[in-house]
Amino acid sequence: MPSAPSKLYSDDVSLLVVTLDTNPFFWSTFSFPFSEFLSHVLAFLNSILLLSQLNQVVVIATGCNSCTYLYDSSSDKNHGSTTGSMPSLYSDLLHNLEVFLAGDQQLAKPRVNAAGGGAPPPSLLSGSLSMALCYIQRAFRSGPIHPQPRILCLQGSADGPEQYVAIMNSIFSAQHSTVPIDSCYIGSNNSAFLQQASYITGGIYYRPPHLDGLFQYFSTVFATDLHSRAFLRLPKSVGVDFRASCFCHKQTIDMGYVCSVCLSIFCEHHDKCSTCGSVFGQAQSNVPSSTDRKRKA
Amino acid sequence: MPEVRIIAKNFMDMVASMPAMKLDKLYENGFICEAILRSLPPLGKKYVLQLLHIDVPVAAKLLEEWVLPDGYTKHRVAIDRLVQLRVFVEAVDRKNDKTYKLNPTFQKSLQKLLVHGGTLPREPMPSNITVRLPTLDDLEAYALQQWECFLLQLISSSLVEKPSNISSSLMKVFQRRLLSQRDKEAPKLTESGFQFLLMETNAQLWYIIREYISNSEERGVDAADLISFMLELSFHVIGEAYNINSLTDFQRSIIRDLADLGLVKLQQGRKESWFIPTKLATNLSVSLADSSSRKEGFVVVETNFRVYAYSTSRLHCEILRLFSKVEYQLPNLIVGAITKESLYNAFENGITAEQIISFLQQNAHPRVADRTPTVPENVTDQIRLWESDLNRVEMTEAYYYDEFPSRDVFEGACDTAREWNGLLWEDSKKMHMVVKTGVHTYVREYLRSQK
Repeated sequence: MPSAPSKLYSDDVSLLVVTLDTNPFFWSTFSFPFSEFLSHVLAFLNSILLLSQLNQVVVIATGCNSCTYLYDSSSDKNHGSTTGSMPSLYSDLLHNLEVFLAGDQQLAKPRVNAAGGGAPPPSLLSGSLSMALCYIQRAFRSGPIHPQPRILCLQGSADGPEQYVAIMNSIFSAQHSTVPIDSCYIGSNNSAFLQQASYITGGIYYRPPHLDGLFQYFSTVFATDLHSRAFLRLPKSVGVDFRASCFCHKQTIDMGYVCSVCLSIFCEHHDKCSTCGSVFGQAQSNVPSSTDRKRKA
Repeated sequence: MPEVRIIAKNFMDMVASMPAMKLDKLYENGFICEAILRSLPPLGKKYVLQLLHIDVPVAAKLLEEWVLPDGYTKHRVAIDRLVQLRVFVEAVDRKNDKTYKLNPTFQKSLQKLLVHGGTLPREPMPSNITVRLPTLDDLEAYALQQWECFLLQLISSSLVEKPSNISSSLMKVFQRRLLSQRDKEAPKLTESGFQFLLMETNAQLWYIIREYISNSEERGVDAADLISFMLELSFHVIGEAYNINSLTDFQRSIIRDLADLGLVKLQQGRKESWFIPTKLATNLSVSLADSSSRKEGFVVVETNFRVYAYSTSRLHCEILRLFSKVEYQLPNLIVGAITKESLYNAFENGITAEQIISFLQQNAHPRVADRTPTVPENVTDQIRLWESDLNRVEMTEAYYYDEFPSRDVFEGACDTAREWNGLLWEDSKKMHMVVKTGVHTYVREYLRSQK
């Protein structure tokens, strides 16, 4: 898959949309406390606002049942000035975060009771990515002069294979509007979704090896505006996990069947494509034919 | 191109030229650090952020490793700027390598600002005391009007109906470089004066503020105090009222001048009086590159060299008159034409074609602003052609040689001049030649050696 073409940016004014993973199932089992993580993030956001009067920061919470806008530095409450937002960045964001977490927990209750345990639910990354893109579209349409948008995903919990289609669609739409998706993944294993997202959109994927100096990683890597990226050597992705999820059971697969009409992916043979309704021919005995099979690295 | 140009890019240059002691004192204020940070080139900002929490000197090589080959000049510019402003302290380590470290005062202030947020020395006044506060639109209109009134007065005091309260001595200071006055004649705009008028508001503001500050020392006011107050002012919230009593005596004496410039609006309540910062004040800390092209223009240029300016301002009319022939003036519209004569007039006054074109482009009416090009190409080309028409003859200082003793010597002299790339003209029959002034010494030496 081709990486997004690099665009030339004339100035360093940025619109940074941050998606913040608030999944309680992840944070309760993770070695690094959420509060400490948050203090690094807040200092980072503050430093972005510090860099230019016209910089704008939007924070979106990624819960496991819902997503919401936590903070917008351009909203009326802040008078559009950075001075007003400095203290309000902390208070507003923390207040909204508390409200959101309570609401998210309320939504979770019926589901947990029904499911009765099992694997911890993943965060709704697809939801927050879509919200980020919606916000950016609004900025694009606000006029010919707007800050350069980019998305930063702060993610810790593991990928949810059932969100595969939605996330890929978000990634392609970000690629289409040349919005880079940076990802800072702090979980134990690499996230295939975020690796692909950053690779396709020309963003940076980075998994900090030490979480104590998180602010240093943020300020060195992710604070770099799009204009300066043309002159700097930033972390390159070493290997990208391109594995897809099947549409029928939402499992991550190495090999599978691909609909020749709409490119939907299935882990087992079907008579009919569940997405576009095309009727497939008979699979040749038990060995799938080479035309219907797609091999992915 | 004229040699004299107003450099109003940023008054951070002025900050940079201050002695180290004063600079360190300035950096104790978090807001000044913030304003300095924002004025830096993008890479510079990044480096500051990167080294913010590093207390040991970092080798210059380490920073260079991050830079791609394309970006090396940008890297140099950023580093030079940082060292110039004493944000970076340069040192040499034991292995004779260059190292950089953040200025400790600057570092501490910025860290504090980042973690705790900044607090202004004064709070906005509660709304029950301050009545009839202007709306943001009113305030902006007020600021622009005040500024235009000031500019008109600056060019010619006869143009203004109600002159502002700026003392005539101060006005003289501002006019010093912009107007030239011969005895008994009306003052005339100088070259820099014309250029000043074509600059955008922020650049003009910087120029005036710079003059104000450099003049302050003559008036016995500390420039550092003035700079820190201006920068602090730029972080106040637009449209909020601040009590005048919270200012020091020194600041209170300045705030009146600033009100005349439109940076703040002064209001009087029943008991208290307060000042309201306008957009002009908060723009003080913005670097110029950001604010340019972020305001609505008013000029439409057509391919037939007609200029339509949707403006009621007399200042705009005066500016258009600098390089075009104003034909009609309707209540909200000025119609002019760019002609050869009007442009020659402008060129004589020291305005360049580029300045005129960039003025037309920067102030393009929103209807034409999204078109490319905003100003029709035939018009811009013609403006440039007319300018180059005037510069058809190029002058080079030169020396003329004749009466060579022999052809050999003549040819030798020609070769010497050619070697130094300074032979302008030769006539081998009559043995004459002309060389550039710079080469004269070499040719003379050669001729001496031949004797």
